[in-house]
Amino acid sequence: MKMKTAAVHVIVIFALVLLAGCLFIPDDTPWPTDVRTRLVSDGEKDTGAKNLVSAIYLAYRAFDTLGETIVLIVAIIGTMSVVESVKKISDDPTTAVTYDFSLVKEKRSSHKLRTHLLEVVTGKIGPVVLLFGFYVMGQGHISPGGGFQGGTIIASGIMLFILGNPYSKVTEMRQNKILSTIEASAFVLFILVSLLSILTSGIFFSNPLEAAGVKYEYYIIALNALIGLKVGSGISLMCIAMMSRRRT
Amino acid sequence: MTEMLLVLIIVLAVFSLISRDLIHSVIALSAISLLSALIFTLHWAFDVAITEAAVGAGVTTIIFVWALKHTSRKDI
Repeated sequence: MKMKTAAVHVIVIFALVLLAGCLFIPDDTPWPTDVRTRLVSDGEKDTGAKNLVSAIYLAYRAFDTLGETIVLIVAIIGTMSVVESVKKISDDPTTAVTYDFSLVKEKRSSHKLRTHLLEVVTGKIGPVVLLFGFYVMGQGHISPGGGFQGGTIIASGIMLFILGNPYSKVTEMRQNKILSTIEASAFVLFILVSLLSILTSGIFFSNPLEAAGVKYEYYIIALNALIGLKVGSGISLMCIAMMSRRRT
Repeated sequence: MTEMLLVLIIVLAVFSLISRDLIHSVIALSAISLLSALIFTLHWAFDVAITEAAVGAGVTTIIFVWALKHTSRKDI
C-alpha cells in the first residue's frame, strides 16, 4: 500500500510538470511549411507513391528505415534470449499447470486451452486478419499502410492461430524454424536490395533497375513486402516463443 | 470529440493504475490503444492508426497477459 501511494504521488507530480510545460508553448509561431509544400507538390512525381508516408520512409528517408529494422531485430534477439532463460526455470514438470481458458467439463487434454469462443474466433477471423495484413503490406504505396503496419497485422493473425491451438501444436510450430528462416532471409534480402543500387547508380537506397525502365513504385512495393515479412515473422516468432513450452 | 476521447483516455489510464486486478488494467490499456487509434483516424493519420491498433490492442495485450500468467494476477 505504501508503494501504491508513493506511485500515485509520483504520477501526480509528473502530470503537474507536464501541465506546467503546456503553459510555456509559444502559440504565435507559424508552423514550418517548406517541407510540407515540397512533399505535396513533388512527392508523387519523385517516387510514384500516392501515400506520402510511404514516399517519405522508403524513398527520402529509406536509410532511417534500415535503422528501424535493425532496432527491431535487436529487440527480438534480446526478447528471445530473455524468454529462453525464463523457460529454463519455469518449465519444471513438477509444478502444476492451470489452464484458465478451458471449459468446465472439458476432459480432453488437447483441448485444455480451447473454448468454443476461441475456436470460433481463431478459425473464422484468423485467415481474414492474415489476408488483410498482406493487403495492407502490398498496397502500402497507394493506400494507408506499408511494411511495418502490414507486418504487425500479420503477426496478430498468426497470434490468433496460436491462441486457438494447444501447446503441443505451438511448440511444433516453433520447432520447424520456418518463421526464423523467413525473418533472416527477408532481412538479408533487404540489405542486399539496398546495397544493389550502389553498383548500378552509386547511390545508396535508390532504384537499382531504373535503367531497365522499372518504376520507383515497384521498388517501394518490394521494400514494403520485405519489411512486412520481416516484421510479421519476427513478432510472431517472439510470441510463439513465449507461448510454447520447450520439448523435454 | 478529440477532447472527449482524451479525457476518456486519462480516465482509463488512472483506472489501469489503481485497479487491483491486473487483467482489468491490461484491458483498460488495450482500450486506450483503441481510443488513440480513433483519435489518429479523426486526424487523418491512418498509417499511425493501423499501427496503434495492431500493436497496442493486439500484440502488447497478448504479451501482458502472458506475463500475468507467469506472475501474479493480483496487484499488491
